[in-house]
Amino acid sequence: MAVLDYLIFSLRNLSHHKLRSFLTLLGVIIGIMAVVSMISIGSGMKASLKEQLEQLGSDKVFILPRIAYGTAAVTLSDDDADAVARVPGVAFVSPLYSVAGDVAYRNERKIVKIYGVDPEKAEATFGAGASGYQLLKGRWLQRGDVYKAVIGYGVHDDVFSRDINVGSVLRIHGVEFQVVGVFKKTGDREKDYTIYANLDAVRGIFGVGDRVTLIIARVDKGADIEEVRQRIERLLEDRKGSKENFFVMTQKEIIERVGEAYRVVQVVFGGLAAVSLIVGAVGIANTMVMNVTERTREIGVLKATGASNAQVLRIFLTDAAILGVAGGAAGIALGYLISLSINMAAARYLGEGMLTTAVTPELVVFALGFSLIIGVVAGIYPAYRAVRLDPVEALRG
Amino acid sequence: MVIKLENVVKVYRLGKVRVHALRGISLEIPRGEYVSIMGPSGSGKSTLMNLIGALDRPTGGRVYIDGVDISRLTDDRLAVLRRKKVGFVFQQFNLIGKLSALENVALPMWFAGVSRSARVHRAKQLLEMVGLGNRLHHKPAELSGGERQRVAIARALANDPEIILADEPTGNLDTSSGMAVIQLLEKLNHMGKTLVVVTHDPEFGRRARMRVKLRDGLIRGIDRNGGT
Ligand SMILES: Nc1ncnc2c1ncn2[C@@H]1O[C@H](COP(=O)(O)OP(=O)(O)OP(=O)(O)O)[C@@H](O)[C@H]1O
Ligand SMILES: [Mg+2]
Repeated sequence: MAVLDYLIFSLRNLSHHKLRSFLTLLGVIIGIMAVVSMISIGSGMKASLKEQLEQLGSDKVFILPRIAYGTAAVTLSDDDADAVARVPGVAFVSPLYSVAGDVAYRNERKIVKIYGVDPEKAEATFGAGASGYQLLKGRWLQRGDVYKAVIGYGVHDDVFSRDINVGSVLRIHGVEFQVVGVFKKTGDREKDYTIYANLDAVRGIFGVGDRVTLIIARVDKGADIEEVRQRIERLLEDRKGSKENFFVMTQKEIIERVGEAYRVVQVVFGGLAAVSLIVGAVGIANTMVMNVTERTREIGVLKATGASNAQVLRIFLTDAAILGVAGGAAGIALGYLISLSINMAAARYLGEGMLTTAVTPELVVFALGFSLIIGVVAGIYPAYRAVRLDPVEALRG
Repeated sequence: MVIKLENVVKVYRLGKVRVHALRGISLEIPRGEYVSIMGPSGSGKSTLMNLIGALDRPTGGRVYIDGVDISRLTDDRLAVLRRKKVGFVFQQFNLIGKLSALENVALPMWFAGVSRSARVHRAKQLLEMVGLGNRLHHKPAELSGGERQRVAIARALANDPEIILADEPTGNLDTSSGMAVIQLLEKLNHMGKTLVVVTHDPEFGRRARMRVKLRDGLIRGIDRNGGT
């Protein structure tokens, strides 16, 4: 096969100058690394976002205060939740209070996240849909449950040195709660490491009155969710005086907001990639010009023994293409490592399955193709110089 | 006539200076001839060889190789002509250092589109013919001068050309390996190749049937053994 002959011939050359070849390639390596990690993070973010939003459900409106400088700009209360519940198109609302609290089990104490939820609405809010919470043991909170709690899988399995089970007693700020249910592992660290208990009981312990940190409103079947959202927003604007201090968001808007965050990532990585790839292309072009100059005599020999201009061109373009692909391969390997470490970091700090970046075969092929093109483009001018050499002059050295 | 030159002029430009390397050469070389070209340094011997070998185009006049006028051929047509009709042997061997003897010999066949296996097969045969069957995978740096020149001769034969052009093939060799190279070239001539040799060595030059003497870009005389 003709292509193979060119490859073999080129590899003979490049292995002569390994260090120089490597230095030439730094730009391409960094550029492709940036491209690969960017795309893998991006697709990972999209995939996990989609998954999480499916869990949230597309029929819900989320109402939460804007957090500025670590504190909420306004507070939401039960009254706000009740008012939202009366908005036409809202089926029911779940007020939530979330807090990180001091939790003791036997003689161990830890800080654990606690969600105060309305026991009657807990199952309807969290259990709905295929991807909602599922019970591993025990039962959901029910009407009348006060000092009862349901725990995430991580709380059951991991937080304390002994497993907590149905029937175990936890002390939240010294107040005893009996565990009545354990959820299956959701893969979402936030959910798995949370204790779910009666809203009023939790608020009582923390002395926050009727404050809520999140209101989830489920809309009626067939209602226009955006219309309902706007109605809620207007209502709260009336109640709070301004809509600057809280968010009223649907699933779609959350996707858009995260999309904006991702766009920033794209611009940063994309810029880095573009600059490095230009540097890389210039590096390859530079090396190839040196290559052609050093091999002037060889080019004369090639021509004297019958190489056509097209064949000389192909010989040098192949050199440049191999440089590009070699840089690309190294960049893909590094990008893969970055993607892997992001996965590990995300699993550790965000929770398992929160962000799974992936270097897919398609991405590898794309990156290799891209670096090949960079190499070839960078090689055009040097190869053209080789073609232009007069054979007699070239043979004189 | 396998080679025919009509009033060939070659002028090089060095900035504003024009160097008249050839000033009007007419020469006919029959197929299968053994020709030596002699003359002082700078008389235009190499320039003449480059034209006969289709490496260059004349400034004036006509150069016919196997009936084709090369003066107006495109680069690609010239490349095809070199590939098929001519084998070069140089004073500096001009082997490619990173390739083995076998790969150097196979190179012209690559350009001619011969398959890989056929290339290897023929390159082996040729290296055996020049007595280097046991040096196939040596790099040029691992060969003696005489051996390198024999690899170069094998390479010149790769595409079985009509014409072998050797520009001072023994210039960098000691007497005995020079003699071996001379005998090898003459053997090719006996096998029917047209052989043109540039040499400074009068003994070598005298062995040719047709002897061309150059001076200042002009032919000073042509001698033929046992005739004319
Ligand atoms: N590329 C070139 N540019 C300018 N002048 C050249 C070039 N090639 C050859 N010449 C000049 O043309 C003349 C003939 O050169 P050529 O190389 O043909 O001589 P030669 O007979 O082969 O000499 P030698 O025996 O030293 O090899 C010389 O004066 C040389 O300087
Ligand atoms: Mg010369």
